[in-house]
Amino acid sequence: MRYLLLIALNLPVILIALVNALTQYKLKKTTKRHFTHQLIMWFIITLVLCGSFPVYNLLTSRPIFQSDSFSTFDIAQTTAIIYLIYLINHQRQRIDQTEKTLRELHQEISIKLSKD
Amino acid sequence: MKTPRVAIIIPCYNESQTIGEVVAQTKKTFAGQPCQTEIIVINDQSSDNSEKTAQKSGAVVINHILNQGAGAATSTGLSYAKQNHFDWAITMDADGQHDPNDALKCLNYAIKNQIDLLIGSRLINTQGMSKVKILGNKGLSFITWALFGVNVTDSQSGLRVFSKRALNTLEWQSTGYEFCSEMLWRAKQSKLKIAEHPIKAIYTEYSKTKGQNNWNGVNIVKSLVRRRITEMFE
Repeated sequence: MRYLLLIALNLPVILIALVNALTQYKLKKTTKRHFTHQLIMWFIITLVLCGSFPVYNLLTSRPIFQSDSFSTFDIAQTTAIIYLIYLINHQRQRIDQTEKTLRELHQEISIKLSKD
Repeated sequence: MKTPRVAIIIPCYNESQTIGEVVAQTKKTFAGQPCQTEIIVINDQSSDNSEKTAQKSGAVVINHILNQGAGAATSTGLSYAKQNHFDWAITMDADGQHDPNDALKCLNYAIKNQIDLLIGSRLINTQGMSKVKILGNKGLSFITWALFGVNVTDSQSGLRVFSKRALNTLEWQSTGYEFCSEMLWRAKQSKLKIAEHPIKAIYTEYSKTKGQNNWNGVNIVKSLVRRRITEMFE
């Protein structure tokens, strides 16, 4: 049940990130390489999320990996981490795009002013 | 056959001592060659008399509004060449480290062999280079290979020749000296034909104080590693 809650809370964030990446690509704001990297990154996060339950069960069944049972706090923490990854990724892309625009603007202005 | 138009781009930051001579010697070398050349000096907000000196020697001068770094200045020059439909572009250093005859030989080699990005390598024949500079440059070339898979002997050389295809395709984000390595990486990503041609390095007492020292190299490596890692998440 807790495992399903973990998936339910995080899947929307992952879906939003994927839709965002696809939209940026289709609007030609990012390159195919960038889109592929985004797909791979979020696919890996989804895989880790879906695989967390069996991996967790495996780890707790072995005496060497002493661990408390999966708690509500763990769910909240994991959700917060994934949401932060999404925010950081999104903001970094915006910063990169802004930097690129500024660079190009500076270049164009320098060239135009030198022509005058 | 159409006469090729060649842009010779010289990024310049506080090089009033040498820029005049560099422009004059380059003009003299390329005069009488079967190509139309234009020398463009990108003045990266120099605080000395570089702009006036370059203009007096006959170069077109583009002034950066803000000091941006060697990478940004080179990018501005190549952008100018692309906008003005040049067939080839050559970049050279403003401190007199490069012999214009080497630039001409590199251009002829690139045209003959249809190379998109030709690097004038100082490390094929290291005569004139100090052991410290050889070590530093070899180190950075190794890092460039390890991070980006581009295998060249001299990844930091400022003497480069660009074809029209390279002018239309190449873009990079670095504004500092790390652009030398990033440019090679972007050229590889764009499937451009990359090659090297030997040049000699001219080191005067003045030019030895210029360029990159090995401590700069540490910063360059940091920037390149950061760029490589962040590209994985882009």
